Amino acid sequence: MIERLIAWLIRRPHYYYLVRGPLRVYYARYANPAFMIWVSFLLRTYKEAFARTRPVIWSSAFVPTELVYGLGGVPVHPEILASLMAYFDISGWFLEKADTRISTDLCSFYRIALGMAMAGFLPQPDLLLSSSTFCDGSNKFFGYLSQLYNVPHFFLDVPYHDGRHGRRYLVDQLKDLTDSIAQLTGIPWRPERMERVVELSNRARGYLLQINDLRKSRPAPFPGSEALSYGVGMMFCSIGTEPSVNFYRALCRFIQQKVDQGAGYLPEEKHRLLWLHHIRPYYPNNIFDVLNGNGAAVVFEEASHVYWPQLDNRAIFESVAQKILSNFSNGPLERRVDNALKMAKTYEVDGAIHFSHWGCRQSCGGASVLADVLKAQGIPCMILDGDGGDPSNYSPGQTQTRLEAFVEMLE
Amino acid sequence: MNSSPLCAGLDIGSLSTEVVVIGPQGIMGYSIVPTGSNIQRAIQSSMEKALKDAGVSQSHLSAVVATGYGRFNLSFPARQVTEITCHGRGASHLFPRTRTVIDLGGQDSKVIILDARRRVVDFVMNDKCAAGTGRFLEVMAGALETCLEEMGSLSLRARKRISISSMCTVFAESEVVSLIAQGASREDIIGGIHDSIASRIYRMAKRLRIEGEITFTGGVAKNLGMVEVLRRRFKASINLPDEPQIVGALGAALIARNSPQPVR
Repeated sequence: MIERLIAWLIRRPHYYYLVRGPLRVYYARYANPAFMIWVSFLLRTYKEAFARTRPVIWSSAFVPTELVYGLGGVPVHPEILASLMAYFDISGWFLEKADTRISTDLCSFYRIALGMAMAGFLPQPDLLLSSSTFCDGSNKFFGYLSQLYNVPHFFLDVPYHDGRHGRRYLVDQLKDLTDSIAQLTGIPWRPERMERVVELSNRARGYLLQINDLRKSRPAPFPGSEALSYGVGMMFCSIGTEPSVNFYRALCRFIQQKVDQGAGYLPEEKHRLLWLHHIRPYYPNNIFDVLNGNGAAVVFEEASHVYWPQLDNRAIFESVAQKILSNFSNGPLERRVDNALKMAKTYEVDGAIHFSHWGCRQSCGGASVLADVLKAQGIPCMILDGDGGDPSNYSPGQTQTRLEAFVEMLE
Repeated sequence: MNSSPLCAGLDIGSLSTEVVVIGPQGIMGYSIVPTGSNIQRAIQSSMEKALKDAGVSQSHLSAVVATGYGRFNLSFPARQVTEITCHGRGASHLFPRTRTVIDLGGQDSKVIILDARRRVVDFVMNDKCAAGTGRFLEVMAGALETCLEEMGSLSLRARKRISISSMCTVFAESEVVSLIAQGASREDIIGGIHDSIASRIYRMAKRLRIEGEITFTGGVAKNLGMVEVLRRRFKASINLPDEPQIVGALGAALIARNSPQPVR
C-alpha cells in the first residue's frame, strides 16, 4: 500500500516542488553548495522524466550524456537511481522484488533498478541506450528492460582497441543511432543544440580538471567518499548541461577555498589513499568512518579522472567516439593499470584500495593484476570485497578488521 | 617502551578468548577460555586466569592491547590492534625467520606476509565462509561422530585419497554422510577433509608472494594432521609454536610493550 502510494506520489510533478524546499533546508547544513546543485538537478530530472515533456531515454552509466541531451531527451540512469535507494537504506525493498526474477549473483545496482522498475518507481522509457564500455552487465539488463517495457534498445558496440578503424566503426554507429532516435522521437537532430551541449561539456570538463589539480594538495581538501557519491553521480548524469557547469564551478570554488586555508578534510592526515573502481558501498556503512578515524584520507579515485579530450564542435561524432574510446577501462587491462600507476604517483598516495563489487566481473577480474603491479611499484594495495548496493553482502566487523589491518601495514 | 615491563595482550575471538601476560623474561602466564555468549564474562575470566598464572594483578600491568573481533568490548583501557598485525608480531617473535604466517582459527583463516623487518606487508583473509576453519573440522567431526581432538591423528592413518569437493561446510557435511554410506573408511574421509582445508588455504596463500619460513598459528595448528598436510601442500617445513592458539594474544602483548601510548 505504502509502495503504491509512493509510486503514485513521485509521478506527480507537484511532489518535486513540495520536497525541494524542505530538502534545501535539510541540506543547508552542508557547507558545500555543489551538493545542493546535485539534489536540485536530480529532482528536476526525475520530475521532467515523469512529466514526459521530452523523450525519456534510459541510458547506461558509460554512454556519454552529451548524446542524450543533444538528442533533446532527458536521460534516466537506472544504476544511479539504484545507488540512491541504497543511500536511503531502502534498497532491500527493491532487491526482494528483483530477486524473484534474476540471479543474486548479478550486480546489485541492476537488481535494485529492476526492483524499482517492477514497483513503478521509474519513469516509463521511450527508448533504452547502452554501450559495451566497461559495464557488460548493462547490455543484458537493458535487453531485459526492452522486453519489460516493450521499447527499442539501442546498443553501442564499442571496439576493444582505440584505433582508426575502431573509431570509424563507432562514429558510423553514432550517426546511425542519432538518425534512428531522431526518427523515433520525432525530434530532429539539430547541430546547434548539440553545439551548446558540447560547449557546456567542455566548460564542465575544464572545472573538473581544476578540481583534480586542487586535490593534489596536502592535506587532502575534499573527501573521496563524497567524490564517489554525488561527484560520480553528476559525472554520469549531467555532463552537457548548465547544472553540471554550475556544479563543478561551485565545487571548484569550495575546494579552492579549502586549499587556500590549508584545510584538509581530516583533522590529521596520516596516510593518503587512492580508491580504485567507480563506486563505493552506498548504503550506511562504516568504511570511511574507519579510514577517517585512522587518519587515512582517500585523496583521489579513478572515477574522477578526466580521461577524455575536449569535444570538438567541428567533428561532434568523432569527438564523442574519442571520448568513449578514451575510457581507460575500455580495452586491455594495461590501460587501467597504467592509469592507476599515474594517479598513484600524481596524488602521492601511500596505498590503494580496490573495491571489488560483487557481480562486477570487468573490474574485479583485473583487480589482482592491478594490485600486484601496484605492490611491485611499492604501493600497497588492498582488495576490499563487498557490494555497492546490497547491504546483506556487507559485514561491518570483517570490513573494519581488513581496513584497520591495511592501515596498520602503512604505519 | 614502557618503563614497567608487565604487559598483557588479549585476543577476543568468536570462539575463544586468550590472554598472555609478558614480563622481562618473556611469557609469564596465559589463559584460553571459550568466549561463549557473554564477551565481558569471557574477558574477565580469561584475564583473571592469565594474571593468576603469571602471579600478578591487573594493577601491575603498564599496557594492554586487545585484538580479535571483540577488541572493542573492553571495559578497561586498552589499545586495539587487528589480529593480522598481532599474529604477525607473535609468530615472528617465536620464529624470527618467519615470513609467512598461516592462521587457522575457529571461524576465519588468514595468510600474512612479513618482510625482513617482521612487518606485515600483505595479507589475505577468509572470514565469509567456514570452510577452511576450525568450525569446518568441528562440523565434520560431528558428522563422523568423532572427537575433534582425534581428527588429526586419524587423518594421518588415511590410506586412500578421497576428495571432498563441496566448498560449503553444510554441503560438505552431506558429502561426508554419503561417503560413510558408501563404506569409505573414517580415516580416509578425515584425510580427505584435511586435504580439502589445505587446498583452500594453499589457493588463498598463492594470491600472495609466499617466501621464507612458514609459521602455523591458531587453534587448528594443534591438529598435527593439519600440520602434516600443509607441509606436504606447501612443500616446506612448517614452524609450530608450543601453544599456537595464543600467538595472537602474544603479539598483542608484545605490541603493548613497545607502544608508547597504551590507550586508544
